[in-house]
Amino acid sequence: MINFDNAATTFPKPLEVRAAVAEAVEKYGGNAGRGGHELAMRTSQAVFEARETAADFFGAEPENVVFTLNCTLALNMAIQGVMSGGGHLIISCLEHNASARPAAELARKKKIELSIAEISDDDAKTVENFRSLICPDTKAIVCTLASNVTGQILPYREIAKLCAEHGICFIADGAQACGILDIKLSDGINILCTAGHKGLYGITGTGLLISDGKFPIYPIIQGGTGSASSSLKQPDFLPDSLESGTLNIVGAVSVRAGIRFVKKLGIDNIFRHEDRICRRFIRELLCDNRIIIYRNPDCRYVPIVSFNIKGVTPEKTAELLSKEGFGLRAGFHCAALAHAHLGTENGTVRFAPSAFSREIDAVRLANSIKNIAKSKNS
Amino acid sequence: MAACYAAMPSYTYAMKAEKLLRSRKFSCEVRRSEKSSEAGCGYSLFISGDCSGALEVLRKYSIPYTMLPGGGV
Repeated sequence: MINFDNAATTFPKPLEVRAAVAEAVEKYGGNAGRGGHELAMRTSQAVFEARETAADFFGAEPENVVFTLNCTLALNMAIQGVMSGGGHLIISCLEHNASARPAAELARKKKIELSIAEISDDDAKTVENFRSLICPDTKAIVCTLASNVTGQILPYREIAKLCAEHGICFIADGAQACGILDIKLSDGINILCTAGHKGLYGITGTGLLISDGKFPIYPIIQGGTGSASSSLKQPDFLPDSLESGTLNIVGAVSVRAGIRFVKKLGIDNIFRHEDRICRRFIRELLCDNRIIIYRNPDCRYVPIVSFNIKGVTPEKTAELLSKEGFGLRAGFHCAALAHAHLGTENGTVRFAPSAFSREIDAVRLANSIKNIAKSKNS
Repeated sequence: MAACYAAMPSYTYAMKAEKLLRSRKFSCEVRRSEKSSEAGCGYSLFISGDCSGALEVLRKYSIPYTMLPGGGV
């Protein structure tokens, strides 16, 4: 199986990551931040080093790096934590359900007011759309850095600037951007949420919430943190306030190895490699008018391509491609708002390469897609 | 040689403090310690030598700590 579903989770994982996981299972069997025996201390140190690596990568302080189980949990913690006192929240119309659902749930329970900003192909218009929704009670803007459906890169630096001008917390969903774009908190992001198992090449069950410390995040989960243990009050400092319960230690170590892999290859090189594959893939398909590609030449994209074959449902297309040995994700990609925005009532098929993908495989895939289009439209 | 213990709010802060001080040639290490207050985590920083200088660095970098008895500055 050739995996072109790397936007869901990257596979294969780098050798360094696999080795780090094996080492972690063998050596880091203690509980991080709990206990003083040698095994616990060694494990704690490994987790701290993972924290430091992530902090350095995103331009944060190590204590402001929170390990979570995935990006969804990080976004839930950020959104519910920042909006715990109520107020007005703005999200974009390209948000993944990881942001859209917790926001919608808070609004449904009348705990917050929710607005949805339209994303335009024109970045200036997109920023204006956000600006027009800001009111005196606006507490936060949640915006993906790049759509998980089309790959469109949003004008996040400009949105961050807008937030700073109004004293609004900018919560960014970096699931499809981190490891592909050089994302830093200095871009103006107050809280960056991302997956550890996508562009950062860690194992599944890993996510990160990285804060600049400017906006308090009320914890949605309380419990043992290894700190202030004799008090029934949850610690109010990061990362402990948001890290209740035993961490995914093996996962944290894998994320460290994954980030080092990305740094070794170079973010720009990874982007160029995957972008070249996407461009070739698109070029191969553009000549066939039975294939719809959801891209606009005026927009910038991370290496994701959504497409459909006329007269064939996305799920059927993916099923036929799976039989030919290609793994692609079809449907709504957990992004109801984005598909409503695109007008793709049955969803799309998503092509997402990784650092390990090969152009020749993308060409073979394109040929298979054209064959399906031909057979179903003849 | 003078020595002191600074109780840290968490292991993360203890490690951050240790790295920060060691990079400035202070002699210190993270140790497990008895609970000193409600806020204590059980991890403290044992500093030997120039305690006041080391603590000044912690303050400068806004690393919270509580002095523990048993080591004078």
